[in-house]
Amino acid sequence: MAPTLAEFILDRAFSAVVSMDEQGCVTGWNPSAEEVFGLKREEALGREVAELIVPEDLREAHREGLRRFLATGEVRVLDRRLEMRALRADGTEIPVEFTISALEDAGHWSFHTFIRDVSERVEADRERERLVEKLNRALRGSERRFEAIVGSLGDAITIRDREHRFLYANPAAVAHLGFESWEELRDTAPDTIMQEFDVWDEDGREIRMKDIPSVRILRGEAAEPLLIRTVNRVTGAQSWNLLKSAPLFAEDGQVEATITVIEDVTEQKRAEKRGDFLAQASAVLASSLDYEQTLRNVAQLAVPEVADWCAVDLVDEDGDRHSVAVAHVDPERLALAEELRAYEPERLDPGQGLGLVFRTGQSLLYPEIPEALLVEAAVDERHMELLRAVGLRSGLVVPMRLGERTLGALTLVSSESGRTLDEFDVQLAEQVAARAAVAIENSRLYSQRSLIARTLQQSLLPDQLPEIPGYELASVYVPAMEGSMVGGDFYDVWSVGEDWMMIIGDVTGKGVDAAALTSLVRHTMRAASEFLASPAELLAQVDSTLKHRPTLSVCTALCIRIHGGRATLAIGGHPLPLYVAGNQITNLGEHGPLLGAFSEAAWQDVTVELQAGSTLVAYTDGITDAVDVERTRFGIGRLRATLHDVAGRPAAEVVECLTGALADFQTSAHADDTAAIVLRRLAHANALQSSASRTDNSQDNGDLLAGVTHGQTD
Amino acid sequence: MVRPTEFKIAHRATEAGVTLKVVGELDLGTVPVLTESVERVKHGIKALTLDLSDLTFMDSTGLRLLIELDRRATREDWKLVLIRPQHETAAAVLTATGADKALPFEDAQ
Repeated sequence: MAPTLAEFILDRAFSAVVSMDEQGCVTGWNPSAEEVFGLKREEALGREVAELIVPEDLREAHREGLRRFLATGEVRVLDRRLEMRALRADGTEIPVEFTISALEDAGHWSFHTFIRDVSERVEADRERERLVEKLNRALRGSERRFEAIVGSLGDAITIRDREHRFLYANPAAVAHLGFESWEELRDTAPDTIMQEFDVWDEDGREIRMKDIPSVRILRGEAAEPLLIRTVNRVTGAQSWNLLKSAPLFAEDGQVEATITVIEDVTEQKRAEKRGDFLAQASAVLASSLDYEQTLRNVAQLAVPEVADWCAVDLVDEDGDRHSVAVAHVDPERLALAEELRAYEPERLDPGQGLGLVFRTGQSLLYPEIPEALLVEAAVDERHMELLRAVGLRSGLVVPMRLGERTLGALTLVSSESGRTLDEFDVQLAEQVAARAAVAIENSRLYSQRSLIARTLQQSLLPDQLPEIPGYELASVYVPAMEGSMVGGDFYDVWSVGEDWMMIIGDVTGKGVDAAALTSLVRHTMRAASEFLASPAELLAQVDSTLKHRPTLSVCTALCIRIHGGRATLAIGGHPLPLYVAGNQITNLGEHGPLLGAFSEAAWQDVTVELQAGSTLVAYTDGITDAVDVERTRFGIGRLRATLHDVAGRPAAEVVECLTGALADFQTSAHADDTAAIVLRRLAHANALQSSASRTDNSQDNGDLLAGVTHGQTD
Repeated sequence: MVRPTEFKIAHRATEAGVTLKVVGELDLGTVPVLTESVERVKHGIKALTLDLSDLTFMDSTGLRLLIELDRRATREDWKLVLIRPQHETAAAVLTATGADKALPFEDAQ
């Protein structure tokens, strides 16, 4: 006979199903029942259920219940989930969960009992109870002492069992997890608690239950402390926590619970963020000497890190305000902020706001900006409208001070973020403002110094090259890119009786020392040339002068004395000048030692004929040392190549040719000073007409050709 | 952007003293690095050798540093030895300024 559908299901049911008739005898016994009770179907059929599976002490009650039901129809146990002990064939008892259904068919009742063996679950519950008990004993052996230590700790401490249920949480932990009481926390499922928060790690990766140290420990993994950032989904409150977990072992060596310390590191993280921000602000402030630009950058940096918008104002000597920068977290709302700023008068009320900060040099914090304050501040309808539109929540004005002077102020406003600014923000803003003040001052000093340097530089070079009969002169001078420093290159041309002196040189070093040295060398040369005809002796004189200085003062120099069509030259540590005659380029003179450097030194005069139409090019190493992107040096080879076809061309054109080649070669500004002087002997020996020109690009080193004036030619 | 200068200093100490091998370009940018290295090793030593054999370039600030060290060696009574650069560009500066004769140069071994 084919099994009925009911039989088919029963044969495969997970629960044990035992059916009995009105006499209490077994009529059905499925495979699960065989397993649970350890008895074959054939052995069970027809025997009394009470004897088979009901423990002895409960048998009478069982029989009585059946009798009562058949007699009165009174229902006590039907269709309810019940727990009871049951008897197995081997005489052992197991905890079971069961339901009984009664069916009436043709005036007779049959009963079907669905039974589950819950030994494991009961055992787990017992185990947990034992564990709680044990932990209570271990941890609260002296309960008052335990509570005194752990209970009053600021750090949250929790103990969880293997299913992550809380066995213990100190008051800090209860509060930290957002619960009113320990009982409430205990009765909440662990997963539910996690759902209250958005959780990330330090790098912004989302953290799930499985990533938490205590859970990892239960998986048998080593759990490093984990730094997490949590945001309460309801309140928006943010906190940083360091989770440290350790296992609690049972006697058999298994982990039976984990203990976790939750350290609130929000304050530290905030301080750390502040450190990062300050470091960034400092770098921005130091990045450029254009302080208006750097202040704009700082304002930009302050949003949204510190506030939703940031404005920077400077105050002049008359106490008037100059708006320098406004930055807004939302660029579209910048216009609104700008328009609002226009309402603030240039001359400020010294009794409030910015005016008050300028006057007192003290910060002002408005944790909350009440409507009344806006009404009071509003000048007209439109102003009020703007103030409302911006949605001012909280504001802060801090002075940019340098000693007792207030140079300006930073205004920080919180609006759409809804954040309130607090003392912490005041401190942060004050530190930024202090750095900004220094940057402003440096920048002002720098502009001043640039001007002084430029003036000084001018004074170190001849105002105008003289006119040498029968010759033509042109020169170029380009200071190094650090505009505030006086460079070390110099040149000069002057007459001594019938002769002419021409020098070019380079003092190593920069700044005021270099300027003083340059000045000393030039004046020594000029003065000594009155009584020393020999360039070599002039160099020796300068060398001696330099050696008398207290600090190491060295200098390269090329000194030429021009007499008629001849030139006598001596060289001290300087590149040899190039002589261009026809298509020949040669070096002139002989190398001699650097001036001021060595105890024993001597220089050699070399006299040469300067042919009609020839050109002499004297230069400093700024030209040959110039580098391109690949750090290839311009070098003597390129210099010679540049000059190969300049024979016969006007001196100014030669200079132009040189500076052009250099500009094409270099991609960035000059790292070093560059100077060159070009002397051309006119083609006609009797040509008395001469000319001189000078190129001085010291005003603008961006374009080498800017400011070139062409010398007259014959 | 201009490629950064190639510059390396290798440090070797022997019983006789300290050798600093300077490789690359010695100029305005790298002179402070060498100055610092010298300051670090120089304390209490009897001899310092600057091996410049693999120097590819030297400008006037580099030369100035060598002159300064030479003067200090005399003043503070320790021995300075300079190993001559083999690259022409660097060697030329020494020749042009007379430093190759005036400073305690030795040929590379």
